[in-house]
Amino acid sequence: MQETVGDEEIVTPGEVLGKGTEVKAGRGAYLSRENNTVYASLTGRRSVVPPSSESTDQRPIVEVIGHKAHGPVPEPGCVVIARVTKVMARMASADIMCVGAKAVREKFSGIIRQQDVRATEIDKVDMHSSFRPGDIVKASVISLGDARAYYLSTAQNELGVVSAESMAGTTMVPISWTEMQCPSTGQIEPRKVAKAGA
Amino acid sequence: MEASPVKFVDQLVVIILSPENLLFFMRICILFSLFFAIQVPGDVILDLSNMANQTLKLGGGLRQDGDSICVMKAGKLRFMKPNKYWVESSQKRYVPSAGDNVLGVVVDTKPENFLVDIKGPALAFLPVLSFEGGTRRNIPKFEVGTLLYVRVVNANTGMNPELTCMDANGKAAEYGVLKDGYMFESSTGLSRMLLSSPPHPVLEGLGKKLSFEIAVGINGRFWVNASQSSTVILVGNAIQKSESLSLVQQKIYLEKLLKSIQ
Repeated sequence: MQETVGDEEIVTPGEVLGKGTEVKAGRGAYLSRENNTVYASLTGRRSVVPPSSESTDQRPIVEVIGHKAHGPVPEPGCVVIARVTKVMARMASADIMCVGAKAVREKFSGIIRQQDVRATEIDKVDMHSSFRPGDIVKASVISLGDARAYYLSTAQNELGVVSAESMAGTTMVPISWTEMQCPSTGQIEPRKVAKAGA
Repeated sequence: MEASPVKFVDQLVVIILSPENLLFFMRICILFSLFFAIQVPGDVILDLSNMANQTLKLGGGLRQDGDSICVMKAGKLRFMKPNKYWVESSQKRYVPSAGDNVLGVVVDTKPENFLVDIKGPALAFLPVLSFEGGTRRNIPKFEVGTLLYVRVVNANTGMNPELTCMDANGKAAEYGVLKDGYMFESSTGLSRMLLSSPPHPVLEGLGKKLSFEIAVGINGRFWVNASQSSTVILVGNAIQKSESLSLVQQKIYLEKLLKSIQ
């Protein structure tokens, strides 16, 4: 059963893409030696790349482009927008929502450790005065981290809380790099605020 | 002679019912009923448009809604001079706040913390090193279900509360494991009454006749220990029963109880 979207077919893992003698396995496909057949290993669109003229092997390369591959993936060094989900004594966890200017297609978790919140006096950082659950923060990815989460950092002036809701429920206005104020009640709450600007 | 009471009453009524005095009289009546009646959520207790240039300190259970101060929690309104107002209520659930001494039950052990249940919305963390002379080498081993008397260090909203078994100077004080005895559940109001400064009548009366030790946690738990378990049961039940009795009834109950144990 072949489903077509436009002029490319959608394939599922295990579907036969061609014989090993006729096609070469590219990304998202693999060659099974038992019966010399190329199968798909991802769900996505099948695309055939014609062989380059100077290579000796004249077989076309068949690839499967997964739908998740269309979404951006955080890389070390890029700036991401994340929503803080949990604040603990030594770190805060956040859900990464955008990489650069593009929204992600799948869930990525990030962790902001106590020593990565700001650049000065890193051992005196109080996580509760820097972030609260629900804040939107701009952070940079330091590393791929462990299996559970990326490691994020807000240790620059332009990074930190971009938007936050006060305890009364209204969006707060930044008044300094450590404080934000609620416009309806006038209450001031501490946050690590990102410098506004481009 | 019989005309003068009527005239006096007439004059009194005239004084009270004149417009300026009426407002004053009404306000006195309201204040009088405010501090003796139980407030329910939604009651407006103060109208700020009449009071200019005053700073009020609002404690728990009160909220400013534009120009009026409304009650958020059911309970008794309390006032402390010069300008503090708060609502005192009694619940079975506890809202953790920094500085409270509570009774917690260990539910899990992690490499860095013990997870302790203190009857709050979230489990509290007790760092393994927060004991007097605590180092990585002598971490106490608590089984699941151990009862501890601990102090809340901080209880920020959205985070798990943090506990410690040391006082502010780093000494063990009275904190730590409570061995033997039995723990009873109560409400937060009863815990506050047991800890209040003119001692609780039932507690004082029982203390004169029986010998037992008691630890009260402000989170609605108290622990009693005595040489005989019949004493523990007696004290625990007496305290739990006394919550719903007025002062006079408590004295009567206490007398009956003390007579029956002899």
